[in-house]
Amino acid sequence: MRQFIGATSGPIRRGRWSVGAALGLLWAGVGFAHHSFAMYDSDHQVKVAGTVKGFDWNNPHVYIELASSEQGETKGYTVECASPGILNRVGWKFNMIKPGDKITVIIAPLKTGEPGGLLKQLTLADGRVFSNGGPAGKPNIQ
Amino acid sequence: MRYSTRRAKALARALGALAIVTSSLVALAASGSAAGDRGLTGTWNRYPQLDETPDPKLPPPPPPVGPPPLKAQYLPAWEAQQKAAKEADARGQPLYTDYVKCLPDGMPAMMLAMFPMEVLQTPGQVTIVQEAYNQVRRVYLNEKQIPVEDAEPGYWGHSVGHWQGDTLLIDTVGIKEKVRFRGVPHSDQMRIHERIRLLTPDFFEDRITVEDPVYLTQPWSFAWAYRRLPHYKMLEYVCDSNREYKDPETGGTRLRLENHDPGPQRP
Repeated sequence: MRQFIGATSGPIRRGRWSVGAALGLLWAGVGFAHHSFAMYDSDHQVKVAGTVKGFDWNNPHVYIELASSEQGETKGYTVECASPGILNRVGWKFNMIKPGDKITVIIAPLKTGEPGGLLKQLTLADGRVFSNGGPAGKPNIQ
Repeated sequence: MRYSTRRAKALARALGALAIVTSSLVALAASGSAAGDRGLTGTWNRYPQLDETPDPKLPPPPPPVGPPPLKAQYLPAWEAQQKAAKEADARGQPLYTDYVKCLPDGMPAMMLAMFPMEVLQTPGQVTIVQEAYNQVRRVYLNEKQIPVEDAEPGYWGHSVGHWQGDTLLIDTVGIKEKVRFRGVPHSDQMRIHERIRLLTPDFFEDRITVEDPVYLTQPWSFAWAYRRLPHYKMLEYVCDSNREYKDPETGGTRLRLENHDPGPQRP
């Protein structure tokens, strides 16, 4: 049922930022979140590659709008990220993603089956890898 | 002659006493008290953080918060509500709460310090700022607490405090009845007592006791600890893009999808 969507081949390239992001996680791993993550299915994570349509850097959550092409059809995804505060503390920057950027995300999809999910891991076109901070949890796929 | 000697001696004693008082005040100022700072000023994070293994070099973290000592007539409703929240999570439809609605958590939940916290000590006042929701508490030092009936209900209430040795004692009244920690109901008679104490220069604890003669059989006590977060600059937090909304059918929380979903719009 669940599959990799627009999956990139090979292991995710880890850039120099991944270490910084991991260190940031150690001291920042915030204890609580704005809401329960029960809307998302963390047991069946999927990988989506696509083009950024929007990057909404705001509280209580940051959102990435992603357009992914699958077998000639374009599908839109809303990717929920943590808050600007949490993301700042794990190395993100408010302007590091722009419409048109090619990115790959690992998400815990919405249990409703709607095209959206909770970010577990983000990979930018230049190979830099970012987590979504402590409360959102880690990816369980590659 | 003897009389004037006595007067001179009395005057000398008085001057001596004045000198002691003055030097104490100077010492107090030098130690930072007169300027307000007793070592709490700065930015802090809850300790330990999620999934963090406690540092054996630091004081052991306080135990988890225990169940509220609610009176028998209020306990079943609270337990049912806890169960409903768990079941809603299991269904993938977490309950839509004030917190999801982007209302601040208020007292005492604010001291959970979801995000970094800043403490400012100025003459006559201790100010506590929580990054999440830009929450601010003001504790007025050495003032008499107002009667509960006069406390206008709010999210952080009316707090007064004073130093007892190395411990800052805070008394808070005037918390809105809808502002609930862990969903525990309370009356306008609720008082929150806090004992804040630096255990090391970079570590402090807040021992909290909630009293409510209407709802609780006995005081509800718990404690949280904080570790200094050096050089951290607090961020602003305004909920200007909340995409969580209440599903009109299930009452659960839903995510509003942009551009590609005609689904229910948020109210």
